[in-house]
Amino acid sequence: MSNNVLHVENITMQFGGVVAVNNLSLDIPEGKIIALIGPNGAGKTTAFNCITGVYEPTNGLVEFMGEPIVRNHPQGKMKKNYKGENGDMYLGHVVANTPDKITKLGIARTFQNIRLWNSMTVFENVLIAKHMNAKQNVFSATFRGNAKEEKRMREETMELLKEQGLDKYKDEIATSLPYGLQRRLEIARALAADPKLLLLDEPAAGMNPQETIELAHFIHEIREKYNLTVFLIEHHMDLVMQISDYIYVIDFGSEIAQGTPKEVQNNQHVIDAYLGVVEDE
Amino acid sequence: MIDFLHNNLQYLLSGISVGGQYALIAIGYTMVYGILRLINFAHGDVFMVAGLIMIYAIAGGLPMWLAIVLVLVLTVVLGVVIEKVAYKPLRSAPRMSVMISAIGVSYLLQNCALYFTGGLPRTYPVIPFLTKKVTIWGATTKMVTIVTPILTLVLIVVLVLLIKYTKIGMAMRAVSKDFETSQLMGIKINSVISFTFVIGCFLAAVGSLLYFSNYQTVVPTSGAMPGLKAFVAAVFGGIGSIPGAVIGAFIIGICENIIKGIGQNWTIFSDAFTFVLLIVILLVKPTGIFGEKATDKV
Amino acid sequence: MNGTMQNSKPLQTPEEVAKRQGMWLTIVCLGILYVALFALDNFVKPSKFTLMLIPVLKKGAIYSLLCVSMNLLNGFTGLFSLGQAGFMLVGAYAYSIFSIPVAQHASVYQYFNGGAIQFSIPEALGNVLGVDLGNFLGAIICIIIAGLVAAVFAALIGIPVLRFKSDYLAIATLGFAEIIRAIFQWNGLGTITNGSNLLRKYTSFSDMKFAIGGQVFKFGTIFPFLIAMICIILIVLLINSSYGRAFKAIRDDEVAAEAMGINLFKHKMLSFVISSFFAGVGGALLAMFQTTVQASAFMSAMTYEILLIVVIGGIGSVSGSCIAAFLYIACSEWWLRFLDSGKLPFGNIEVSFFRDGFRKVVFSVVIMIIVLFFSKGIMGNKELSFAGLIRKIKSKKAAKAAKQEEGGAA
Repeated sequence: MSNNVLHVENITMQFGGVVAVNNLSLDIPEGKIIALIGPNGAGKTTAFNCITGVYEPTNGLVEFMGEPIVRNHPQGKMKKNYKGENGDMYLGHVVANTPDKITKLGIARTFQNIRLWNSMTVFENVLIAKHMNAKQNVFSATFRGNAKEEKRMREETMELLKEQGLDKYKDEIATSLPYGLQRRLEIARALAADPKLLLLDEPAAGMNPQETIELAHFIHEIREKYNLTVFLIEHHMDLVMQISDYIYVIDFGSEIAQGTPKEVQNNQHVIDAYLGVVEDE
Repeated sequence: MIDFLHNNLQYLLSGISVGGQYALIAIGYTMVYGILRLINFAHGDVFMVAGLIMIYAIAGGLPMWLAIVLVLVLTVVLGVVIEKVAYKPLRSAPRMSVMISAIGVSYLLQNCALYFTGGLPRTYPVIPFLTKKVTIWGATTKMVTIVTPILTLVLIVVLVLLIKYTKIGMAMRAVSKDFETSQLMGIKINSVISFTFVIGCFLAAVGSLLYFSNYQTVVPTSGAMPGLKAFVAAVFGGIGSIPGAVIGAFIIGICENIIKGIGQNWTIFSDAFTFVLLIVILLVKPTGIFGEKATDKV
Repeated sequence: MNGTMQNSKPLQTPEEVAKRQGMWLTIVCLGILYVALFALDNFVKPSKFTLMLIPVLKKGAIYSLLCVSMNLLNGFTGLFSLGQAGFMLVGAYAYSIFSIPVAQHASVYQYFNGGAIQFSIPEALGNVLGVDLGNFLGAIICIIIAGLVAAVFAALIGIPVLRFKSDYLAIATLGFAEIIRAIFQWNGLGTITNGSNLLRKYTSFSDMKFAIGGQVFKFGTIFPFLIAMICIILIVLLINSSYGRAFKAIRDDEVAAEAMGINLFKHKMLSFVISSFFAGVGGALLAMFQTTVQASAFMSAMTYEILLIVVIGGIGSVSGSCIAAFLYIACSEWWLRFLDSGKLPFGNIEVSFFRDGFRKVVFSVVIMIIVLFFSKGIMGNKELSFAGLIRKIKSKKAAKAAKQEEGGAA
């Protein structure tokens, strides 16, 4: 277990009467590309949100590099009509990490519906991700006592933009870029946070087959270059089967299968879940 | 306990009465917020304008009954016009712009009132029935004190029935649950919104008749404080919930009058108390007593 | 930006040249402005014109600062706060309380036995440094105290309030402003705040003067300009710093900002406290301007007024706020006065509906038109700067030259 970057144990997330994620457990080994797939509404993004601290899960535990980053509500605070399993597990004080702290620890993410800062340029969008790790305070920043840090941040940002082939757009307003480039910018922004684990929420959504192939190469490339572990949600099965080392399949919030791409492809539950309900986009 | 009640009956009674008047204003806030997610800062000023209309109608020599009808009609028209002119064009704009627009309307109404009244407090006409003196259990008060809670409750029951059993009421409930979807389902959003303003302003006009019969003078800023308090009442009860707003309004009305009763030195806090209550409720139960919890989707 | 050009004299991009030229131009213009203000204070004979102009300039400078501080919060951080008047009140009171001369306490605090605080910073400094310098430095120290006290209030209020979202934040800050107003009017604190009575006789703009060689030089108009300018420059520096970018990120998308490691609460608190600090400074300047302060005047209408000026100038534009503040004050205190007077400014024509209050009606209609049809205001979210102008002129020239060349080639 020691080489697991992320360890998710029995996460349950309940909204009112709906159990969006039910008792989900995952392990993400270092340096691998892991995929989380499932039909629409299966709870994939909710699982991401629990890992990154956007939601506080109703029950369960998330460990990053061996440190607990998210833990359940204590029993007293747990929803009265708790519908998940293992209601009596993981008691104790809540580790309530906010998303910013989790990002600081080394998990960066992208969003399903791109969330760039729309009044800012491409350059600034990436630059802001450097803010959290800069050695500065509000006074040194105002009086320009952080000139060195500022210079470093700008240089690193420029370098990153060049590596991602976005440098020629650096002064454009981020949301004026074409869709594909916006996706790429969002990944660049996540990389600027110097993550160890990168969570990608449907990175290929809205891309054509050609772009999807490019994306697959790109993901491989950044994994090598930045020493990353990648955890992604995806609907494009070609992409998932091509790049993932291991796959978790969930439906209605619960895990229905896991294994290598080959195993998953031949798993009857998975075929039922997909063919029985929906299509492949 | 009984002694305390007896000694403070005066304050308690006027508290209930003011509470009823706040309730009538608060419904306008809570319904508009429920549907447009907008704090209609101008609502308190509409209430003030209703007071002025009454003054000018009587000064213009209209008989009492006609003046009252005129107040009700013109206030409703004013509310609908404000919605059409100041809020409708901004329907797709960020929420902050609409709120700024509401503040702008409030500023406009206050300044118009300032212009027409010349900044002098105007005396509210005496509505004979409402200002008659009555004595209850040793406390002398005006008839309006007794009429207000009764009238408020009657109007609210009618309103609740309207929302529950009529078609437009159903449409209103749908729109407040999900604006976009109801639009897709063929509900005429604009008429629903107009209807909301009609109800809100009608009740505010009724409230103004009662409130100003009690306080007797109208100045351009008369509406600001009752307006804010009514809004706090709406938040307290859970925004969007009509019974919540009413209960909140009565609690605020009674509490602030009891504070007035404690002593001269504390009167200054009777207004501030409302806001303390607001902050406490937002911290303890942000959705108010009857509010529903909404989760933001990420 | 480019790593290879570190040593010797770096080559400058046209961008940087424009920036430098713009900076010099700005400094020169400000220099001229201050010379003109100094002349206005000391050498220009008072006339009907200057009697109107000077107060407008002073108040305009103060309102610029107030608007920019509100813009920092509402425009750049996206926090819709309506507590400005409350923090101004705190600043105005903190300033006046510490600068009322001890000898005047008996008359100012006549209902509270002369008050509890028995010292005056300008006076104490005056005893050491001479009256003029004492007044000047004392006023500055009191202004800083005013800002700090307002900032402390903001920090305390921010803890509960900043958890709320958009409109709840607005109503909660509005509520706190009202609570502050009530507390400062409360007779229980009368020995400090003078209860619901006026505070007066503290150091004001007219005390900003220096006797040099037998002649007295007045700095009454320069002083608010100087303080406001320094504060606005600080705010601009903040906005253009890493923290300013983080504020804008929060404004554009809170969820993304948090996901990129920006601590929402900490940054919102920073913005709130800093904005309130400057609101407090603005309140202190306003107190100096008015020469008396009373808590009951700091109503929510004051906040609305400042908010509307910010909207006129453009939410998210510092220069827009300044322009709008001066325009607003000039119109309301001077240029549009005729609307209240019953006469047109030219000729001698009487207009019956031009009477008290008509000016404000016209104003509010204009504001509504701006809000509804020109929601970007004067500047949108752009800034007016000499550097920008130079760049624009240059690019136009370049375009022209390119065209000519093309024409020549053809």
